[in-house]
Amino acid sequence: MNTKIILIYISTFVLGNVYCASDLTEEEIGHVIEGRVFPPEDPNNSNWQLDTRVHVNGGEYIGFVREDGTFVVHNLPSGSYVVEIVHPDYMYEPVRVEINSKGKYRARKVNYVQTSQVIQVPYPLRMKPVTKFRYFQVREQWRLTDFLFNPMVVMMVLPLFLIMILPKMMNDPETKEDLKQISNLAKISDVPEMSEMFTKIFNRGSVPKPTSSKAKQIKKRQ
Amino acid sequence: MGNLSINLKPNFMGLLKCLNSINWFIVFFSLINLSMCIYEDQIGKFDWRQSYVGRIKFAQFDTVSTARKIIVATEENVLAALNLKTGQVVWRHVFESTSSGNIQLLHLSDQIITVTGSNPYLVRGWDLSTGVLIWEWGLTLQKNEHTDFSEWWVQNGLLVHMVPKFGSHIEVSVYNVATGHNRGATSKLPAVWINEGCVLSPPYYTCISGSPGNQLLLSMDVTSDAVQIISKPLAEYTTARNANLNPFDTNTVIPGFLLNEKIILIRGNKFEAINIAVSEPSASVALVDSASGPLVLQTWNDEAKGFTLTAHNLVSGQRVNEIGWSDRSLSIPEPELSAVICTKTAREQHVCRILVTAADDASHLIQQEGRVLWTREEALANVVAVEFVDLPVSDLDAAIESEFDQKEGSVLAAFTRRLQSQFQQLQGAVRTLLAGDAAAADEPPPLVRDYFNLHKIMVLLTDAGKIFGMDNLSGEILWKLYEPNLNTEAAVMFTRRSARHPPHDAYLTIVGKHEETGNGLIVSLNPIRGTPVGEQTLHLDVQILQCAVLYKADAQKLHALILLDKDENVQILPESSAPLVENMYMHVADRSSAVVRGYALRHDGERVSAKNIWSVDLSGGGSQRVVWSVSKPAAERIHSAGRVLPDRSVLYKHLNPNLVLLLTEGPDPVHKDVVVATCVDGVSGGVLSAHVHRRARRPALPLHSEHFLAYLYYNDKQRRHEIATLELYEGPERWVPAGAAFSSLRGARAPHVQRHAYIVPAAPAAAALSATERSLTDKHVLLALSTGAIVELPWALLEPRRALSPAGEAREEGLVPYAPELPLPAEAVVNYNATLLRLTRIHTAPSGLESTSLVLATGLDLFYTRIAPSKTFDLLKDDFDYYLISVVLAALVLATYSTKYFAARKMLKMAWK
Repeated sequence: MNTKIILIYISTFVLGNVYCASDLTEEEIGHVIEGRVFPPEDPNNSNWQLDTRVHVNGGEYIGFVREDGTFVVHNLPSGSYVVEIVHPDYMYEPVRVEINSKGKYRARKVNYVQTSQVIQVPYPLRMKPVTKFRYFQVREQWRLTDFLFNPMVVMMVLPLFLIMILPKMMNDPETKEDLKQISNLAKISDVPEMSEMFTKIFNRGSVPKPTSSKAKQIKKRQ
Repeated sequence: MGNLSINLKPNFMGLLKCLNSINWFIVFFSLINLSMCIYEDQIGKFDWRQSYVGRIKFAQFDTVSTARKIIVATEENVLAALNLKTGQVVWRHVFESTSSGNIQLLHLSDQIITVTGSNPYLVRGWDLSTGVLIWEWGLTLQKNEHTDFSEWWVQNGLLVHMVPKFGSHIEVSVYNVATGHNRGATSKLPAVWINEGCVLSPPYYTCISGSPGNQLLLSMDVTSDAVQIISKPLAEYTTARNANLNPFDTNTVIPGFLLNEKIILIRGNKFEAINIAVSEPSASVALVDSASGPLVLQTWNDEAKGFTLTAHNLVSGQRVNEIGWSDRSLSIPEPELSAVICTKTAREQHVCRILVTAADDASHLIQQEGRVLWTREEALANVVAVEFVDLPVSDLDAAIESEFDQKEGSVLAAFTRRLQSQFQQLQGAVRTLLAGDAAAADEPPPLVRDYFNLHKIMVLLTDAGKIFGMDNLSGEILWKLYEPNLNTEAAVMFTRRSARHPPHDAYLTIVGKHEETGNGLIVSLNPIRGTPVGEQTLHLDVQILQCAVLYKADAQKLHALILLDKDENVQILPESSAPLVENMYMHVADRSSAVVRGYALRHDGERVSAKNIWSVDLSGGGSQRVVWSVSKPAAERIHSAGRVLPDRSVLYKHLNPNLVLLLTEGPDPVHKDVVVATCVDGVSGGVLSAHVHRRARRPALPLHSEHFLAYLYYNDKQRRHEIATLELYEGPERWVPAGAAFSSLRGARAPHVQRHAYIVPAAPAAAALSATERSLTDKHVLLALSTGAIVELPWALLEPRRALSPAGEAREEGLVPYAPELPLPAEAVVNYNATLLRLTRIHTAPSGLESTSLVLATGLDLFYTRIAPSKTFDLLKDDFDYYLISVVLAALVLATYSTKYFAARKMLKMAWK
């Protein structure tokens, strides 16, 4: 298969545009790109050759992986090609292969930003899986630190800290007075007392007066 | 306190400043962290994938390996193995979509042998059980036009290639299958009598030759060493004036062919006419081997009896009754026997499995007695257009809605209506309670709109002319309709009335061409049930130039269809809507001449006429041709008219609803190839902006929405795909006062255009923009790559306003600094590892939920999912922990009351002190 069948094209090679009509009236085809794909290290991935596809220039030419991982892409005219190994779960780095009109090969890393930069890689290609694709978000697990640093918890803990610790740190009587006022305000007084609610319900309002006065008394004492 | 405040204040201000400066980073990282991907346990929850292979070209039953399969090679250049029991794809290989991937031969022995391409050819051998490639070799022949008629077959373990040169000779080459080693050199067999009407029945090549009235039937074994020609006068076999030769659709037994309606076999270098009549000229005939000798199978679509299949014993000529039936309920237009396998059971009965391919690209595996084991709708491998259609509301909801519609009537009447609908509701509730769960489990869910309008019907128009109605949640085909005369090239679909207007049904129209005449063919149907409505199937007597739907609905809430034909006449369907035509404009772009013409439509009291009011020549000296023309989606809403800048001023968007983006491509003497993107106003014909890309080719996949445009092209100089994005702005002041309608005819100001180009580090195959109901949600770009992934990118990454190094203000606006290469992270792949082969288009549609956009990707596979560009802000997460939140609430209530109790006790104690 290494034999490259080179065919001299009679100058009937016409493309819709002048893209290669500059001085290339004779175009040879029949170059091949060869390489080997290394399987991902996954024990339950027995038939990886089926899932792995070799795309040249985004599917313009397609190669298939054999049992041992080798692949050949046939019938390429000379030019520059991006060879991608497509696997649904594993990422392979693409390689740019350049074939000149004399049939010489050069393989280099793909760099779309600095297209003139050349970092050569060996040819025939050796494609190794880089990483496994991470398609999915990991579900959050319940952790104590997450709970403690939750903004709601922090919001509850911080005022507690201000109320309990700060007065002890400062012995200024004026601030004490202020803080007292604040704590008075914060006192829970609007929550209806359970016993009161029940007596209200069961006594049908016959004895609401004494209880309410009791509440008032308590409030006064405060 | 004073002390404290002094200490805190500067710190607090410092904190605010600090927050302000990290604000930009927060925005930046929130964008980079494209956390729109799904969780692993959500696979298949909102999405589904259907794999197709295309119309079956060759098929063979795999009888060797243990797992029963059918190996198929298709018109879409796919080699696949289908499970015999279910019809599911076991494995498949997709070849190039161009002619180099064309499958010429499929042969099954202990391995699968395929020949693909058309000079150069590639011969490959595949493992029968696993589908892995074993060997391959290439073959290149001297270029000549005769190779198009070449034939391949495998004979005695050798691959035979035959190239007929009409009127002179036949070239036959024999190769070793596995290595490609040429056994003997190519042999040239002189045969002046061959022509285009010849048929091959390996190894015999048969022709009708000679002058009319004196014709001969000639046949030759092209593989034998000695040239032996069988020749007989044609009159011996047929008296018909124009005799036609046809090969069998499937033949595994004896070389033979069909001469008009006669079966002729070649046995012992002799023609042998068989006394079995072919029942119908269009019947598909197959010759198969069975335990009781070879059988002749015929199938056709009988007008009276429907799908019919008959079998005859080849030797005795007697009909085999157990294989033969008719079925009216099967709709298999123009059936073709792709593969047949016949065995015998213990009770001496024939058992056949027959794979039938129909003209609508569907494949059916039929067993004895006409039982269809499975059906594959392979037309769906070639979807041309998609329309998402809303489902109707349930009868009950419709009654409630109609209650509010009726404005007139007294209070009493309204009250009785209210009572009535309440009673109906009660009835419905009781009925569902009584029916119980048993009935609900069996029946499919009714086709009514759900609360969030996520359940829709997708109408898919396919290349074969078959129209499908598909449930978007399950992917189940609800109805199908085959229009044999519909040529769907450049066909369009319009929803002319949604299901929102009871008692009127939904109304969908397909405008296409007639297969033979090329004139307009209009198909109108009810998209919910697939039944024809209104104009039904209308064959026009003229070619259509352009079509549109009138923006105003008539009294029946139906939007009229406007057709501009080749003679610049206008047709309105229905004609009663003609007076509604007002302020209507159309434009027509000629692909090859690159001339765009604008027409104004006027109603003069009697009829509507079109007047050419402008034309723009984009040919650039004759070399350019129009590749794409994209206007805005018709039902698009715009949420915001401007962008707030950091200095609290507003940058107003140029929201021209008539804007059309035209992409032209052509050669250039200096810059090789040039791509030009022109923004033309579709009403006035004014050119708003034009951009030239030198040394660029293949402009593709334009996107157009609100005030932004994007398109892809291939940069020939740098050899990479790039995406160019444009945004149109009016500036800090509005051109028209707020609330006023935009008019293209007023004011000739050009908008300020901002643009950028980004590198796409992959080969894009399709692109689409997310669509939501009110456009409140961010716009995301869906980019389908040739690798089979669909990547979701926020528009913020494509924005032309991204500065190279953002200054303070740009930072505050939340712009990401410019980076030339677009990131395509794996997290942004919406179809995770469900690779989609040969993607061609992505279709998006809004749902009733503002956050959610429905996506359907078509190509060889169908993939449906839903995306939420700004996350599901209007919906609780599906993993929302109701249990935890109720426990926390209960605990809080408990804690409140217990602390209250303890506080009261403490008070009491303090009071006693």
